Amino acid sequence: MIRIVALRKAYGPLTAVDDLSLEVPAGTVFGFIGRNGAGKTTTIKMMMGLLAPTSGTVLLDGHDIRKAPEKAKAVTGFLPDRPHLYDKLTGAEYLGFVGGLYGLTAKDAARRAGALLGEFGLAAQAGELIETFSHGMKQRLSLAGALIHRPRILVLDEPMVGLDPEGAIAMRRLLLRLATDGVTIFLSTHSLAVAEELCGRIGILDRGKLVALGSMQELRAHAGNGREAPSLETVFLDILGATAA
Amino acid sequence: MTSVLSLLQPRWLATRNVLRRGPTRPLVIGALTIAFWAAAFWLFGRVLGYFQTLADFGPLLTQRLLVLLFMSFFGILLISNTVTALTTFYLASDVTPLLASPLSFRRLHHARFIETLLSSSWMVVLVGIPALGAYGFVYGAGPAYYFAAAAVLLLFLVIPAALGVLVTTALVLVFPARGTRDALLVGVGLMVAAMVVVVRMLDPERLAHPSGLVGFAGFLAGFGASGSPYVPSTWAAETLIPLLGARAGEPMFHLTLLALTAAMLFLVSATVVEQLFLTAWSRAQTGRVRAMETERPLSRWLVRLSWPLPRVPGLLLVKDVTVFLRDASQWSQLLLLCALVAIYVYNFSALPLNDGSRLALAMRDMAAILNLGLGAFVTTAIAVRFVYPMISLEGRAWWILRTAPVALERLWWSKFWIGFVPLVLFAEGLVVTTNTLLGVPVLVTAAFLVTLIPLMAAVVSLGLAFGASDPKLDSQNAAQIATGFGAIMYMLTCLGLIAAVVSIEAWPLARVLRLSRTETMATPEQLLLVVVAVCAASFLTLTAFGLARRSGLRALDRLVV
Repeated sequence: MIRIVALRKAYGPLTAVDDLSLEVPAGTVFGFIGRNGAGKTTTIKMMMGLLAPTSGTVLLDGHDIRKAPEKAKAVTGFLPDRPHLYDKLTGAEYLGFVGGLYGLTAKDAARRAGALLGEFGLAAQAGELIETFSHGMKQRLSLAGALIHRPRILVLDEPMVGLDPEGAIAMRRLLLRLATDGVTIFLSTHSLAVAEELCGRIGILDRGKLVALGSMQELRAHAGNGREAPSLETVFLDILGATAA
Repeated sequence: MTSVLSLLQPRWLATRNVLRRGPTRPLVIGALTIAFWAAAFWLFGRVLGYFQTLADFGPLLTQRLLVLLFMSFFGILLISNTVTALTTFYLASDVTPLLASPLSFRRLHHARFIETLLSSSWMVVLVGIPALGAYGFVYGAGPAYYFAAAAVLLLFLVIPAALGVLVTTALVLVFPARGTRDALLVGVGLMVAAMVVVVRMLDPERLAHPSGLVGFAGFLAGFGASGSPYVPSTWAAETLIPLLGARAGEPMFHLTLLALTAAMLFLVSATVVEQLFLTAWSRAQTGRVRAMETERPLSRWLVRLSWPLPRVPGLLLVKDVTVFLRDASQWSQLLLLCALVAIYVYNFSALPLNDGSRLALAMRDMAAILNLGLGAFVTTAIAVRFVYPMISLEGRAWWILRTAPVALERLWWSKFWIGFVPLVLFAEGLVVTTNTLLGVPVLVTAAFLVTLIPLMAAVVSLGLAFGASDPKLDSQNAAQIATGFGAIMYMLTCLGLIAAVVSIEAWPLARVLRLSRTETMATPEQLLLVVVAVCAASFLTLTAFGLARRSGLRALDRLVV
């Protein structure tokens, strides 16, 4: 469903993403983890067509993001790390606008917006300007926008940041439900607990390079060194420690 | 302890980094500043030189002009400081980390005060330097005058800055900060528009003519007394006039008065902020929640009005218009625009062209030819305010459009039509109205109307290209975006294009206009010349449109949020 092929991004002498290749099968929750500045957000920006790669490409549901960006984007929903929205629109207007961009009729967009606002606990604030929303509310509204067109792929950059415990639990449940429904989820996160709980496959990025890829069991076997079932935290530190050495 | 200077370091370093990006920016800004200073110095020198020829009457006029100058500066500074202080003290995002740091409110005040003063006063300094320089030059003043002028200007800037901080703090304590800012922006818009109209009604063009200077001298002579002795503008003028040698006075007394008032107000401002900042800041954090019943109909009506449009342009139009109408920093600029248009049309109705003389007819022909350029230029000035900031105003929310399944080209075309349709209708309406006032033949007006369509397309396309090349994604104030370096370059490029178009069409159209004086029909050869000129101008503008479109699309593709 998601195929990243030899993706590379260089800023002059600095290589932010270096020859990254991976595949995420349909219905999988893929965890993309790494230190700060490892290149996770740069990768996601290239996946979503927000940044042109130096070389390589990304295929979303078989559509090349550089050659057929509209087709690739039409099947994808995106939640950025910081939910910058249109402050002077109301929550309902925002969802109506985004729904329209994804080809929904005004009536369908309004119906779907109403349902999502209810699901994300924003129904009471639907008519208020977004500038009055808290970070967590903006995050939830942004996710509602990403889901309005029922995408087959969901790309999430740090979705748990800024959410209260209740919101974080609801988000985890939602992601599991979406994955069960067949949605492919590409999730970048700093929270190893979230990755461990949700992700069927995990990729670890370090200084732009993919240093580990596989299921939790495969990663444990890769970094276990005979220890019994180490946590993702241990695996993460082992792998990055080995890379640094 | 953190020093006040280190608090100002981020702003200074950011400015330095912008200047380091390339030599073009500082060079262009420097050249424009020098050109402006030269023009202002010449104008003030001319007026003051004339006053000197008036023997006993001269010093009085010199004094009154100086008082008038400082009074205008004071009014502008007071408004500007109040609006700026609202942002720097109570709305800026970088106040939060400062509040969390071990920094006293007094030091916070000092740092923000300097920032407010610098942001609000640069325009007054820009005009003040050539004006006071011209005074010194014309009156052959000694070094004491120049030192005093520098001190007066500095002290004079502190007073409205302190008053601005005090007024802002009082307003924030009473009203929510965003509501206050909107009200202030609308108030400023109205005041600037009123000021522009008043200045125009004073007929400043009379200054270009010796008899006009007599009239201006008369106006100044009738301009009240020499100013109230209780206001800083009078103290500033009273410090400088004796040092010019225009008449005797007590410069040290007035300078001391100015210095003591500035120091006292600065201390009051610091004490008030020290005592009340936390309360005022807390109040300023109250968001503005619009009543649903007043907001929703607007959006619904816009959706209905946009039904004939294709889906994506319709959506973008509704979104952009909704945001525009809800953002006072954007729509308040329409007030200034209305004043400019009224003045432009008034200028043409006030031209002395109706006496039937050869001179009047020749002037009409010249005004008609210039009208093509001036009409386009006025429309360009509007494009700088409304089209150039379009991309910047998408802000960090640009990702929403960029990750949607909409081709970049479609987004560009949507933005283009939103800018082009109102602008071309405006330009055509303006030219038809003014050409009618001038009594220009229909053929010439028709040539203008045809020329304006591709010309305005080029102006909008250039606006999007320059706006995308130098985006200010973190600025939410359209007026601020429209005064940046990119906006200046955009304006200059459009000016060059308009000048080229007028040059191409001037000769054949002048021939048609000359014939119309004797009510003679244009020959087929002359008509052909007009058609060729319009086609050549259109080819030029369409080329500019195409190049700007390509460059704009590239810039949009590179735009990273």
